[in-house]
Order: sequence, then structure tokens, then C-alpha cells
Amino acid sequence: MSTVDDRPVAEADEPEEPTNRPEASYRLREWLSRPYVRHILIIAAVITLLVVPAAWLVIFFMNMTGAPASSIMSEIEKTMFVFTIVSAPLMAITLAILAYSLLGWGRVSGDEPPMQESPAIRSNPIAITLWIGTTSVLAAFLVVWGVTELATITAYSYGSTPANQQPNATKRIDINVTGQQWLWTFAYPDQNDITAPVLVVPIDTPLYFNVTSLDVVHNFWVVELGIKIDANPGAITNTGVTPNKLGTFNIRCAELCGLHHAYMQTQINVVTQEEFDSWVREMGGSKTV
Amino acid sequence: MSDTAVIHEHGHVPQPVQHGKPGGILRHTSIVTGLVSGVVLAVIAYLVGGMLMPQGTLDADGIQVGINAQIAATYIAWVVGFMAGIGAFAGPIRWAMGHDLTHDDAEYMAGKGQGKWRYWKYTTDHKVVGFQYLVISMVLLGLGGFLAMLVRTELGATWTEVFDPNFYNSIIGTHGIVMIIAMIIVVTGPLGNFVVPIMIGARDMAFPRLNALSFWLLFAAVPPLVTNLMLGGMRDGWTVYQPLGAQAPVGMIGYQITIITFAFSTGIASVNLITTIVTMRARGMTWNRVPIFVIGIIASSIMGLVWFPMFQYSQVFALSDRVIATSFYIPQMGGSVWLYENLFWLLGHPEVYVIVVPGTAALMELMVVFLRKPLFSYKVAVAGFAGIVGISSVVWVHHMYMTGWAPAAGYPFMLSTELISIPFGFLVMVMLGTIWRGKVWTRLPMMAVFAVLWNKVIGGITGVYLSDVPVDQYMHGSMFVVAHFHFMLMGAGLFAAMGAISYWFPKMTGRMLDERIGSIGFWTAFAGFQLTFGSMFVAGLQGMPRRVLQFDDAFNVSNWLSTIGAYTIGIGMLVFLYAIVTSWRSSVLAAANPWGAKTLEWQTETPVPLENFPVLPVVTSDPYGYGVPDPYDEIEEQLTDEDATVGAR
Repeated sequence: MSTVDDRPVAEADEPEEPTNRPEASYRLREWLSRPYVRHILIIAAVITLLVVPAAWLVIFFMNMTGAPASSIMSEIEKTMFVFTIVSAPLMAITLAILAYSLLGWGRVSGDEPPMQESPAIRSNPIAITLWIGTTSVLAAFLVVWGVTELATITAYSYGSTPANQQPNATKRIDINVTGQQWLWTFAYPDQNDITAPVLVVPIDTPLYFNVTSLDVVHNFWVVELGIKIDANPGAITNTGVTPNKLGTFNIRCAELCGLHHAYMQTQINVVTQEEFDSWVREMGGSKTV
Repeated sequence: MSDTAVIHEHGHVPQPVQHGKPGGILRHTSIVTGLVSGVVLAVIAYLVGGMLMPQGTLDADGIQVGINAQIAATYIAWVVGFMAGIGAFAGPIRWAMGHDLTHDDAEYMAGKGQGKWRYWKYTTDHKVVGFQYLVISMVLLGLGGFLAMLVRTELGATWTEVFDPNFYNSIIGTHGIVMIIAMIIVVTGPLGNFVVPIMIGARDMAFPRLNALSFWLLFAAVPPLVTNLMLGGMRDGWTVYQPLGAQAPVGMIGYQITIITFAFSTGIASVNLITTIVTMRARGMTWNRVPIFVIGIIASSIMGLVWFPMFQYSQVFALSDRVIATSFYIPQMGGSVWLYENLFWLLGHPEVYVIVVPGTAALMELMVVFLRKPLFSYKVAVAGFAGIVGISSVVWVHHMYMTGWAPAAGYPFMLSTELISIPFGFLVMVMLGTIWRGKVWTRLPMMAVFAVLWNKVIGGITGVYLSDVPVDQYMHGSMFVVAHFHFMLMGAGLFAAMGAISYWFPKMTGRMLDERIGSIGFWTAFAGFQLTFGSMFVAGLQGMPRRVLQFDDAFNVSNWLSTIGAYTIGIGMLVFLYAIVTSWRSSVLAAANPWGAKTLEWQTETPVPLENFPVLPVVTSDPYGYGVPDPYDEIEEQLTDEDATVGAR
């Protein structure tokens, strides 16, 4: 209570804290012994146990079309998994209080305002501190995790640290991606500038994309490889990835680009180095990596 | 003594002279003269524009040169003509002529003695404006909901194209912007105007004529938005990224005029609300006695006032690119598509909080009544709103993580986006703390609190995923984003608005809401909502992009479920609307204070008289004096009295 407060002393004349207040550990035990506290903690624990499997469910849905096909996608899925687990207890405690409110503390119905009033709890410094502390720690964790992961996937994309522990500066394929309404064109400048409507790339080789657009904003999304970047007219944006799984994956446009936006999709074929070399020769290219 | 200033002591102060009957020209203006004048002026602008056009001269894209200017002039003429016809310019013109408003004029403009007709006029009474906002927001929600049904019909019919792709893209965009406008006004408009002045013990808003101006500007903004569908549509989603927006037919001008006009309306309404709340509170209503709903309204108004001009200017530039060949967004001529994206999202993100904050504050205001408990930690709630207002201004780039505009910006904006979860968590804590140990009076407004908190948990956690750049690299532009923001805007925004409207319904209409039918509608819509957007999350996780009308078979099942859920929402909303309309017409009359609430609006009679209070109230405490002393505290006090026993343990 501030001493320079010149308001009427309406709040200042509360009874002083009793000096023989029970010690904190006793008060905590007393609080924990209250029936509603126990019930809420039990409900929260049950909800946590029910929610945690959602982390695997999320990954299951994300993998339905064949992901992850790159270490970037693996990192993304790891982040989804961890965030789900971390959110579970907070979600559980919220839902437990809501559930107990409807079931445990009682309900009244009727047309007239209930006569029985509830306890006048205006504040609880311990609870407030605990809540703000917990959510701040969680937010800090999210930030630290996010920043670390962003640095990691940026490194995987641009090759500033070698993926697969190999020097990748010499062994890298540049691909110029051009979006236009409503198709993608892929050009391989180092392979005699061959162009193709479908992306064919060798496995375990870093790819570096220069993305641009001829008309409106598109978005180059290689779904199972977890990379995505806008294709802007008048600018070149960059991204990169190292595919680590053989197969055919989806490329979709993820920015509304007009009439046939829905059909602006193609495939990426991740093949072995030998298959890639023969594909390049077939397409009329000469030099391969 | 000179003639220019005379000091009258206790004497009669000369009033402005009454010229003619009270109200003057406004006696003859109404929505009818507004519509006539707007349409006439629009037709004149169209015809004159047509005569000036070099007929048959096509530009590089094969479009008639001058058509954009002609359509823009037509729309602008509609807005100006409508506002002139309804009498919006009468006030300034009278001042210019040297005629000041008399007290009788002001009372006429507030709707005195005009019966039901006052709802169709340029009426300044805040209660009339509140009703006008309520009706227009329900009309817009109905229109947006109908368009949503069309979207889901297309997506549910996975085997065929129901609509032409151009028309489909248009209804997506129109659904989006209609719903955004409706959600921005649905709480702040009806309740901010009707309830807030009474709640703070004022006789009207600070600027009653600006209040009428803000509503009728909004009204004038709606026809351009609707008619865009007849002029080729806005085929670009509600974001209308450039340069795609420049390719759209002239219907796009309807969208741009709507946004420019609506931004004026919002700015005026925000200034009015902020001034009213700051200057016109009843005696004794210090800042720590202001009801929390009022705090929420002022927070939302500040965000609207500061950030709406960004959106407005993004469209002013886009319109000038189209009409007078400037090149703000044309990369080949030195423009930048990223400039548009930045301007757009500078409002685009705060706008989410403009929508969610008033609804949340309304629920806080009403839950104390149904729990018979004080609001838990009022100060933390205020801090939460303040934190949201502050941080929301520095998070907009999280919509642009994947644009390639500034990859390094991902780090600071990931930080700010995740930080905003802390003040948002304050609000959740306040609501949970208020629920804590309360006995629930299970009426419809209170049940909305439970529905909204559930939706906020889902929307909040999925928002945490999206705030993370690596995850956004997968989710951006997918159906996951669509599901997430529907959980926040509809799940936390619209369901809160439904609760808030049913809470203040008795005060506004003087009749009790039929809660049996209302609850059936509410919970049907809620169940449909969970199905629709729950399965949309799955489609997003599987990798379905948004704003498509055909997609891989892998996404079929979740889209079928979404469509079934969407129809369920539609049915539920119609039932809820039926409850509102029938109760409004013929339900039992409401007492002045049917909920036993302590805020000021319930202390005046129902229906609320013209100037709200016979005598202005004086406030002596905050409105949360519910509840009885905590029995556990009494036990503790008894324990501490018998000091020895406790210390020994």
C-alpha cells in the first residue's frame, strides 16, 4: 500500500496481516487437501493423458502423403510434436476448470437471479504470479525453440552449414523456378539450361531455388519437403532443400493467383544420381553434378 | 462592455435563434431521400463518365480505356449522394449559414416524437444508432454466412465444379470481407453504441452527430461491396494481393470504395467512443471503477483508430494504380508488391484483436452476474487489454513469413507474436479465476463463456504453431490457417457476440430472449462449428492449400465432414436468428434489471428513456460487489486465532 496515497483510507484500514499466519507449506497442503483442488488436478491429468496422443495424430496426418522427405520437414514435424506436448497441460488445466465449474461447484437455473452468492475472490497474488510465470516461461521456451529451429532450417535451406556433413558448395544444383498463371517452369542453368514442367532432382544433393514470377504473386510449396516461398513479380526469392527420400512428391501453389489457382500443381521426382544423370542427357543437358 | 462577450451572472443566457421548425431540412430527409439522391447522382456520374470515355479504345489488356474511372466515379457519387440525401451535410451547411443548432433542433435530431420512423433517419440518439448497427450487422452476417454455404457446397461436391472458378473466387473474397466488416461492428456497433454510454452514466455519446455519420457511412459502404459480384467480382480473396487485384474486373472498385468508406466510418466511431469514455463518465467513476466491457471497447477503438488508415491507404493506392495509372504496386515501374502486403497487414493483424477484444470484454462483464462473484483481478484484465493493444502493433509480419520479403524479420516477429500470447493469457486467467468456485447460473449468455473459452483454447494453441516460422513454412496458405482464424474470429468472436447480445437483449428491446430456442440454435451452431473446422485442421495438416475449388482425393473425407458441419452451423444460426426476431416481436416484457446486475445500464428503466437517466448517477464503487466472504478464509482466521495449534504443526 503506497504511503503517498491521499485517497480516503477505504482500503488502508483492512486488518493487518496476522503475524501468526500459517506457514506457506502448511497453507499449500491445506489448499491441496480441498476436494475441488484434488478433483481438478485429477481431471487435468486425465485430459493431459488424452491430449498427448494428439501429438502422434498430428504427425500421422502430416505424413499421409509421404512426408517427411527432407531434414527440414523432419524439423517441422518435430516442432509440431513438441509444441503439442507442451500445450497439453495448459489446455488440460483450462478445460478441467471449465468442466469442474459445470459439474462440481454446482449450478442453478431459473428465471430469477440466484439468491446464493459465490465467494468474493477478487485477487490471489500467488495464483496470478504462478499463471504469469508459467505462461511467460512457456512463451520463452517457444521463442527459444523457434529461433533455434529457424536457424537450423535456414542452414539446411541455404547450405551455410553443410547438410549431411558434406561440403556442398561444389555439389549443389541451382534451379530457377518461374511461376506464371497457372503453371510452374523449372530451369537448370548449370545443366545446359534445360527446362521442364516437372521437377526432377537427385537424392541427397542440396538444391537451391531462385524463385520468381512472370505475372502475379504465386507461392512455391514443395509439400513433403517442407519448403515454401512466394514467387513475386520483379523480385527473386530464394530457398533450398536437400531431399533425403526417393519418390514423387507434390508441388502446389499456396497463394491465390486467379482463375486456375487450384490446378497450379505439379510434382517433384526425387531419383538416384544415375537416374538424374540419364534424365539430364535425355533432356539435352550436358554437365551434371 | 463590448458586444462580442457578455458575462451573464445567474441570468438568462440567450440561446441560438430557432430558424423554422426544429430539425430544419432534416425533417424532410430520410433513408428514402438518401437512396434516391445516391442512385440519381450515381446514374449521372455513370452517364457523364460514359460520354467522356473514348469509346472503343482498348488498352493493352483489351479493356475499354476509362471504364475504371467511370465505375469509380459512379461509386463515389453513390456514397456522396447518399450521404447528402440523408442529410449528413446539413450540420456544416447550417454553421456556414450562421445558424447554430438550438436545443429543439438537437432533440429533433435525437429522434424525439418520430416514433419508429427515427430508425430510418439521420438520428443522433445512441440507442437508435445501436439498433441500426445491430440490424446491419445481422444482415451482413447473414449475407456472409450464405456465401460461406456456397463455398462449402463447392468444396463438399468433390466430384464436380459447382460454380465457375471466377465466381467461386469472388464469393471467397466477398465472404471474407463481408464477415470481417460484420465481425468488427457486431459488438462495438450495437453494444458499444447502445450500452456503453448508459454504462458509464452519460446521456448520449460525446459527438451524437458523428455517431449518426459513422453508421450511415457504413450503410453507404455496403452496396458497393454487394454489387461487386455483378461487375465481375473481386476474385482475389479478402486480402486482394496486388498485382492480382489489378487483373480483376471493375467489381474490384466496389471493394476498394467499400474499404475506403468503411475506414472513415470506423475512424469516426472510434474517436467518438474514445472521447465519450474518457470525458463523459459519471461522477465518481474513476478509472478503476470503469466496467471491464468499457475498457475492452476503448482498447478495440484505439486499435481501430490507429491502424485502419493503413488499410485505407493500401486501397487508395490500389485504386489510384487502377484509375490514374500510378505504380505503387507495379514492380516493372518501380512499385512493390511487398508495400501492399505490409500496408494491408499493418491493419490486418490488429483487426483480429479489434474483433476478439470487445467480445471477450463483454463476456467478462456478464460472467460476474451469472456467477455472483466479483471479477477476478480487474487490474490484470486491464493489463491484458493494454498489452494486446501495444504488442498487436508489432506482429503484422507474421503474415508475411513466407513472402521472401525479409527472411531475417522472422526472428523478431516470431518473438513479438509469441509474446502476445502472454497478455492474451491474462484474459484467459481472469475468466478462469472468475469461474473458480462460482456457482453457475446456467443461462444462455453464461453458457457462451464456456463455448468461447473452449474455442479460445483450440484457437490459441493452433495459433502458437502458426507463430513459429518453421511450422508456418508448412502451414502458411493451407486450410490449417483457415481453420485457426475461424476458431478465433468466429469461435471466440461471433459466439461471444451471440452471448453478449443475448445478455443485453432485455435492455435493448425491452423483452426477454426466448432462451430455449436460442440455446438450441447456439449449441447446434457450436457443434457444427467444431465439426467444420476440426476437420479443416486435418485437411490443412494433410497439405491442402486454401482458396482452391478442386483438390486431391486425399482431402475428400475431411471436406465432406466440413461441409456437413457448415450446413449444421447454418441451421443453428437460423434458429438463433429466429429466436432473436420472434422474441423481439412478442416475448415477455423484461424487467429493468432481470439479471440482478450492478452496472449502471441495468439501474435505469426499460425501455431506456431518451436521455437515459432522470438524474445522472454518482458512482461510489466498482460494479463487481457480488459475493460473500470466502468460507475457507474464515476457517483460516479461526485457525490463526488458536495460534498454538497451527504453529506446532
